[in-house]
Amino acid sequence: MTDESIPIWKRDFPYEAAAEDDVTRREFARYLVAGAGVMAAGNVGIAAWTQLRKINTGEPREIVALDQVAVGDTYLFRYPAEADAAILLRLSDDEVVAFSQKCTHLGCVVFYETEEDRWHCPCHEGNFDTRTGTVISGPPPRPLGRIDVEIRDRAIWALGYEP
Amino acid sequence: MRTSRQATRTSSAVVVYVIILVAFQVFLLTVAVEAFAADDESLAWTTATVSVVLACGSAVVYRYLRP
Repeated sequence: MTDESIPIWKRDFPYEAAAEDDVTRREFARYLVAGAGVMAAGNVGIAAWTQLRKINTGEPREIVALDQVAVGDTYLFRYPAEADAAILLRLSDDEVVAFSQKCTHLGCVVFYETEEDRWHCPCHEGNFDTRTGTVISGPPPRPLGRIDVEIRDRAIWALGYEP
Repeated sequence: MRTSRQATRTSSAVVVYVIILVAFQVFLLTVAVEAFAADDESLAWTTATVSVVLACGSAVVYRYLRP
């Protein structure tokens, strides 16, 4: 009894190459296409997550008394949650700015460089504008997260967080 | 009539094309993660759309690969 699915030449010469059981070109392409499908599904999932998630923008609360921060000084605090490090800078008697301390590149902590008048990330030399938090130089892809602050009754208040 | 060598070339080209599309998908995945981090919904959806189109394109091209 012969197996008709086997070619005649193979029945006559039952030779098997070492790589005969390896993956075929079509199978390889099938894995790639399946991978592309998985990645496309992942992209759709990420987009849906981006759309649906709620970002904690914080509640208005008092941060520190105005007298405790001299003009040109910075003050570290936590906002909007206790896990979120933030920093404020008093620019003048009645002007204050505040940002998330998390660098938008890889999450290192930024600080204020007085001599250069800019926010600086020491990890990869990222620099941000003092007043707006926009990227001046370095690898960060977007501005620092901004915290809306204002002075009320001789105290600095945080009103909300804009990622 | 298509010769065996031509067919092999075509199937190789299809595989290379699919590899390029998949590599681009990996890039799109990084863009999607960046859009997520930046909370950029429009970029995330654009990336997802392009990614789905490319995946469909890969599947269509795959059909031309001879068994």
